[in-house]
Amino acid sequence: MKTFRKICLWLHRELGFVAVGLTLVYAISGIVVNHAHHWDTNYERSREVFNIEPVVIGPTEEIVPAVLQRLQLAEPVKSTWRAAQDKLQVFLPDGTVTVTLSTGEVLRERFRVRPLLFDLNFMHLNTGKGPWTGIADAYAGVLIILALTGIFLVRGRKGLAGRGGVLMGLGFLLPLVYIIMERYV
Amino acid sequence: MRTKSCILVMATLALLLTAGNAAALEKVYGKGVSAADTVLISQVLGDPDAYVDKVVRVEGTAVAVCKHRGCWVELASDKEGETIRIKVQDGVIVFPAEIVGELVMAEGVFTANKLDLETSKKVCAYEAEQAGKDFDPESVTQCVTLYQVTGSGAVVMDKPAEEASEGEA
Repeated sequence: MKTFRKICLWLHRELGFVAVGLTLVYAISGIVVNHAHHWDTNYERSREVFNIEPVVIGPTEEIVPAVLQRLQLAEPVKSTWRAAQDKLQVFLPDGTVTVTLSTGEVLRERFRVRPLLFDLNFMHLNTGKGPWTGIADAYAGVLIILALTGIFLVRGRKGLAGRGGVLMGLGFLLPLVYIIMERYV
Repeated sequence: MRTKSCILVMATLALLLTAGNAAALEKVYGKGVSAADTVLISQVLGDPDAYVDKVVRVEGTAVAVCKHRGCWVELASDKEGETIRIKVQDGVIVFPAEIVGELVMAEGVFTANKLDLETSKKVCAYEAEQAGKDFDPESVTQCVTLYQVTGSGAVVMDKPAEEASEGEA
């Protein structure tokens, strides 16, 4: 039993250190993603409306240079699209410009990647797949080992037979009560 | 014990370094594309019944993307003002905001969903909200059939900025 506890202690300590960074990635992004319906967790977005001189409606190949000339954009243009007879969209690396040709009204929509949060979400949601799938699986395995070895670290009143057992029971009870209430009541 | 710890740490670092490649993934989404021929979007939308439940490969400039989960992208048709939606399973493929304006080739099964009036209103309301337009539910009087490609993969094609800026509507 002594050797078993020693192994548990070693595993828990060493893997515990390894898990710190990954836990922060998943925990921070977890909170963020839980509230994704309140805000855009990956991008900061902004809209700006201004006017340019109206453009006479005609063939797209004539309209595009006229609009670009009026817009005087500093950014490189990715592409353009005639969304409707009266609308031209100009796509830029950081957003879209929508021009109403007849009125000259311009809607400039910008997005900017949220530093850090975008990357945390990218990892948490495994957007990139590939090697991260293996790392995420390994991390889940590490968490299982941490949970199981943690049970045997403390002996006596504060351990599994005492307060530790009660707290562990609470950890099982919370998801159990939630799922029963949500799904079966 | 110290050696074992070092091995553990080094193994973890090696895994993490390999993961660095994930961020620099090629611009291939999902299974990519494998169908033999590209069908014009105008051709598909011009005769939708001929393509329903068939695998199609389409190509066009990405003009809109799902702002919430990146779960769909709209491709501009070769016909002015027309678009086709490529809908992918949530979380399986995530289209980033940066994809808008890029030339995209996508593949999947072309599907038709005939919606009831209530759902038609909701879909129209959602589309109006996405487009930043005002919406009156009473303006929807007929059921909408939603045509889209249930996407299995997509590839962003290389396109120099100057060439792209020449316009492609």
